[in-house]
Amino acid sequence: MSGTAYITHNELTSALERLSKEMDVWIPVETGDKKWGIQFSKYQPGKAPLLERQSTTLPKKVLFPQVETLLRFCYQKDVEDRSRVTIDLKDLEDMAPAMVFGARPCDVRGFLTFDQVFLNGLHKDPYYAQRREKTLFATLVCETPDSACFCSSVGSGPADQAGSDLWIIPIEGGYLIESLNERGEKLLPKMGKEATQDQIESAQRFQEKAANERVGEGDLTRYVRAFEERFSDKAYWRDMVSKCISCGICTYVCPTCYCFTITDEMKELEGERLRSWDSCMFHQYTQEASGHNPRPTKFERYRNRVGHKFSYFPDKYNGMISCCGCGRCIRSCPVSVDIRQIVRQLKEEAGDCVST
Amino acid sequence: MGSKTEALAKQFEKVFDDLELVIGWETGFDSLHATPAFIRQPSALGRLIWNPFCSHNLSGYLTKTLNATAQEDAKKIGICVKGCDSRSVVALIQEKFISRERLYIAGIPCRGTVDLRRLMRLKPSLKDVNTVHIEGNELAVETARQTHRFPLQDVLLRKCLQCRYPNPVLYDELIGEPLTPRVTEGQAPPFVDKLEAHSLEQRRVFWERELDRCIRCYACRNACPLCVCQDNCILESRMPKWLSQRSGMSEKFFFHMIHAVHLAGRCTECGECERVCPMEIPVALMKEKLNQVVKELLDYEAGLNPETQPPLLTFDPSETGI
Amino acid sequence: MKSEAASTPEQELRIVGFLCNWCSYGGADTAGICRFKQPTDLRIIRIPCTGRMDPLFAVKALIYGADGVLVSGCHPKDCHYAVGNYYARRRMEVLKRFLPFIGIDTGRFRYSWVSASEGQLWQQVVKEFSEQIHRLGANPGLHEKIDVEASLFLF
Repeated sequence: MSGTAYITHNELTSALERLSKEMDVWIPVETGDKKWGIQFSKYQPGKAPLLERQSTTLPKKVLFPQVETLLRFCYQKDVEDRSRVTIDLKDLEDMAPAMVFGARPCDVRGFLTFDQVFLNGLHKDPYYAQRREKTLFATLVCETPDSACFCSSVGSGPADQAGSDLWIIPIEGGYLIESLNERGEKLLPKMGKEATQDQIESAQRFQEKAANERVGEGDLTRYVRAFEERFSDKAYWRDMVSKCISCGICTYVCPTCYCFTITDEMKELEGERLRSWDSCMFHQYTQEASGHNPRPTKFERYRNRVGHKFSYFPDKYNGMISCCGCGRCIRSCPVSVDIRQIVRQLKEEAGDCVST
Repeated sequence: MGSKTEALAKQFEKVFDDLELVIGWETGFDSLHATPAFIRQPSALGRLIWNPFCSHNLSGYLTKTLNATAQEDAKKIGICVKGCDSRSVVALIQEKFISRERLYIAGIPCRGTVDLRRLMRLKPSLKDVNTVHIEGNELAVETARQTHRFPLQDVLLRKCLQCRYPNPVLYDELIGEPLTPRVTEGQAPPFVDKLEAHSLEQRRVFWERELDRCIRCYACRNACPLCVCQDNCILESRMPKWLSQRSGMSEKFFFHMIHAVHLAGRCTECGECERVCPMEIPVALMKEKLNQVVKELLDYEAGLNPETQPPLLTFDPSETGI
Repeated sequence: MKSEAASTPEQELRIVGFLCNWCSYGGADTAGICRFKQPTDLRIIRIPCTGRMDPLFAVKALIYGADGVLVSGCHPKDCHYAVGNYYARRRMEVLKRFLPFIGIDTGRFRYSWVSASEGQLWQQVVKEFSEQIHRLGANPGLHEKIDVEASLFLF
């Protein structure tokens, strides 16, 4: 094992307190008084992270805020000649270094999809790149999968370390923090004392157990062609998607959904260019200026969601599935649309498909 | 309770020849989740269930997924409704979005449906449920190992705790015996009163705290059976532009005001907006207050009589005092 | 958050007036022609009829910081379009009673009926409403950052 540190349950907040002096520390906390949901928010003194179950919303917003200002602009009229207008631009503000503490492997794995799109193409997105560069992920090995989870079905798992810098393993009395790279290693001394051999061994046992756990049935990574064949089967999509209410929950709670829209919001001579989350579940997402909409109903829209994650994306990026199996779209869906089932049945005979 | 589930399937079997499809509930991805079912074959009627997890109001599908208006030679659409859902059906008939003739309504007297998140808070480990039903003032959840009992007060949806219409107001067949309402008429909505006991400043802070969580996924709007503008909602229109893409408090606040104001005098209090909210915001509360105002001012309750007209869609020259 | 301290009488506040084209807009004009002195906090938006008055106009103005909203149109029975204000009065009254529920003082919203010849009445309406808004002070607006300490736990 590389570097380790041990934090007791009681010392956790003081460790976070120390870290928060140097960076923004994002931790999972409850969404409101006596609410079931958990969301990520910046550490505030005295707030302990809630690590016992998966968060409702994601740390996605740390690297990809729901709304971010790409640039601010201001028109200035020449005092002498009012027809001469100059424009004053400000873009790409510096961000503070950040750490996401207590996300799950699935939450962090989602950023691998983002990396493909925002970093590895012809053009690099400077906004995302900056945040990616400056943000560390301390990820909790997952021991509480529920009936909506299916990470093992998409090539991940409860002990998937992809994308993480530090690894949090719950052991007797506290947590063992293990560094997964140099960036993580540097922070270890600020987090706790070095772990004892016993603690390391106990963590190893926990880690191995989680790594051997299989969460979710079957393998959902080989449906590229099956989707293409089902594409125009109207009855299939009608049966699968009738209950969808076409809201944006599944996309907003998805670790791999990266679609956005850009708008200029102006007031008098000043304004800003915003980039905000968009959702392929919305009618406006594909609305064209002419008024034509190539995806006019929820059936085409949901089909696109399935296709993007399990067919188009792997087709384009060497078989990489754009789904990390966190199950949020199933768990948060108000009508329990189950994407696993829709994908699985792509290969079934037309008459045998049932939507539950 | 199993008997009601069976009665439901049996009833639809009897009339299935006249039906295009049946909308009901079935078991979802696990035993705690019910999900809407669209049944097009009589052989699949066995999938239908009825239990306190069937909280979804299915009437929205009549306009948004199907076109339940009168059409020549079209078969009827079978639909399962609880008391609250039936009011939405009535409201949609009133506003002529659907036609009574196209519907075959199976009404189910309902003693309340479960707020899964409240249940999970009480018992996070709950799974593999065999049956669930209401016994007196308790919810009995039977798993393979044991039967858990929860006071209804702690696990029902907020709307069910103040339900005045457990019995469907419109139906072709009633499945089961009518029930006595938990709350009697004239009683003020308890949650509205609770907020009104606080000062103006505190109320604003309350809404700021609640609405701050809003992620603008628009689930509340899309789930609302009476949000009938669908893809033409003013919220997303660019011209005129009512709302910017910013996600400040004003935008969140105004978004919810749009929904509330458009439902004044129309909301049937099915509570879907609140049930579907992933952030657990009590959004239905605004509509409850508006309903109270409309009741006091115009003596009207939405979704009770298909013949009347919602009061804000009409006028009365003789009224005084306003 | 803006200061909640009552504004000084001299400080101009921002009242948005939605006036129907046929009566109250004319009434305001009459008041002007007759040189009836009025407070200057009011900014007038002309609408074709109070029947066009979407309650959300008022809500949006108040949420985005207006200190008061005044809606005015023809007297009931005198609507240029016969029935527009019959619809309007129901909507306005419902809104007026609803605003306090979301924490907006009901006194910040008023609707009135003023005909084109009632310049004097218009002066009185504007004067009264402006004074009322000055008593209430500037609209405290919404907190962009929520106040964790002031949490109000209800359900």
